[in-house]
Amino acid sequence: MALVELRGVSKSFQKGDETITPLDDVDLSIEQGEFVSLMGPSGTGKSTLLNLVSGIDRVDSGTIFVDGTEITELSRSKLADWRAANLGYIFQTHNLIPVLTAYENVELPTLLLKLSSTERRQRVELALEAVGLSDRAEHYPRQLSGGQEQRVGIARAIVSHPKVVVADEPTGSLDTETSEQIQVLLQRLNKELNITMLMVTHDAEAAEIASRRLLLQNGKFVEREKTVLVPEDQTPASGSVATQ
Amino acid sequence: MLLPWEYGVRNLARRPLRTLLTLIALATVVMLVFVVVGFIRGLERSLSTSGDDDVVLVYSVNSEENIENSAIAAQIPALLTASVGGTVSRFGMTHVSPELYMGTRVKNELDEAGLGLVRGVTLATPLVRRSVRLVEGSWPRAGEVIVGRLAAAKLGSSEDAIALGKTLEFEGKQWTVSGRFASGGSAYESEIWCRLEDFQAATKRQDLSLVAMLLSPEGSAGEVSLFCKERTDLEIRAIRETDYYASLQQHYRPVRLLAWSVVVMVSAAGIFAGLNMMYGAVAGRVREIATLQAVGFRRRAIVLSLVQEGVLLAASGSLLSGVLALTALNGMAVRFTMGAFALRIDSVAILIGCGVGVLLGVVGALPPALKALRSEVATSLKSV
Repeated sequence: MALVELRGVSKSFQKGDETITPLDDVDLSIEQGEFVSLMGPSGTGKSTLLNLVSGIDRVDSGTIFVDGTEITELSRSKLADWRAANLGYIFQTHNLIPVLTAYENVELPTLLLKLSSTERRQRVELALEAVGLSDRAEHYPRQLSGGQEQRVGIARAIVSHPKVVVADEPTGSLDTETSEQIQVLLQRLNKELNITMLMVTHDAEAAEIASRRLLLQNGKFVEREKTVLVPEDQTPASGSVATQ
Repeated sequence: MLLPWEYGVRNLARRPLRTLLTLIALATVVMLVFVVVGFIRGLERSLSTSGDDDVVLVYSVNSEENIENSAIAAQIPALLTASVGGTVSRFGMTHVSPELYMGTRVKNELDEAGLGLVRGVTLATPLVRRSVRLVEGSWPRAGEVIVGRLAAAKLGSSEDAIALGKTLEFEGKQWTVSGRFASGGSAYESEIWCRLEDFQAATKRQDLSLVAMLLSPEGSAGEVSLFCKERTDLEIRAIRETDYYASLQQHYRPVRLLAWSVVVMVSAAGIFAGLNMMYGAVAGRVREIATLQAVGFRRRAIVLSLVQEGVLLAASGSLLSGVLALTALNGMAVRFTMGAFALRIDSVAILIGCGVGVLLGVVGALPPALKALRSEVATSLKSV
């Protein structure tokens, strides 16, 4: 069985008198260590899928297994415990707790794990080091730039050594340069720490860093091939792209 | 697993002005609770310590419960001593205190007048009223009075106006203050005492208001009562002093009920202050609360953290009020119909005041916390 497995998952919303069904009987498998990006037009259910995989939303029908656990069967409290131990969540707007320092924000998920204080401290320091923010540990979110805040968010997502990290448009609120830095960081964490990642993005360039790219269209997944930028001197039209 | 303690503490500093205003509001509410509970405790203490289980009061059957309205014949003390045994007698002095007691207008040297309670007493009186202690000056001689610790409060004058050596005027006569007395918070402390014969002469009365008798262990209040019932011609009744003040406690029951109602109403007002603050605090943190849930914190942990914030603020307000109440309110004299008593901020008052404070924090924080957690996490994560 794959690390993440969705079988016949459907989810509908009521919007006024209208029923919207962004996910209709979808199947998806994500293997251990895969970095999957998910693109698609607005309202196609990308974030909904992310929320279902992370257990903060419920399916209408179908099942979701993560590392062999059927999370669709878990109660709300059990899901909270499961998230604490198995899931890292990277938010578009960072969602750091403003009254806590960078160190304390990263430390939050570890408070839910049975760790000694030494082990907890080591994990937080390693996570901050992994995102290159060891020197900003005592800074509050208001004292950090947008990119640094997102790095803290990433450190918080990986500190508990989760099975899966989900990222909801992690570069969506960042400028181009910072966005690229975050993409490189995510790619490095995936490769070096073998973290399984599922990332929703609107940014085609950000989606390219993933090892597997999916497009969600009409409630179904379509596999996208990797696009590569062809050097200008090899093409008649500059900036054109080709598929691998 | 609970959220870190620092999270709750630092959240209070996020909106300093709102937190400060709420703290003041909560402290005011708790202070009002202290005032009312201190009033009730002071009144109860005054009435409960006024009675002595070994003392029997004999007064007119026609006066109902009000000794001020009582008038009994001057020979009754002698009759009681001769007819009823069991009265304490030491060194040839029977512990029977004939007294004339009435409310009258008392004027001080500054021409300030107030309604005072004056008791004409004899040397036997302090033997029967065992809680009374002369704390300053000397026992009154002819034309002199001693004043209770709370007499100034009862008269509505300053302490200086009835200090030793000052002159008071009542019943058309000048009286010099020769001493001050205390009696452990009992009702006597709001009175002015003078010699019985002087007071009788000033009021042109030959009768008495009551006779107080200190019974020995062999004595019986029932025996005194039986004597009073048998001598219908004397029109007197006997009652154990503790029972007399217990009946007065009943008399003031509506006042106490009203006071407790005030405590409840004031507390309810305080809950609204707490609710207002916590709704404001939580409304701006919907996304943050959803983030905590997404990270893996259980709803119970988040509710407890929010309640912790409310309780912390309310407890700070209670502490502030408690210190103020103990330093400024405790012992403050309050006038009422049958005298004066001191506000009493004792352990019970502190417990009730602080208990109400903590309750305000819990009840004020719970509804906003539960409301915040009712929203869908997925939706709340994207709220502004």
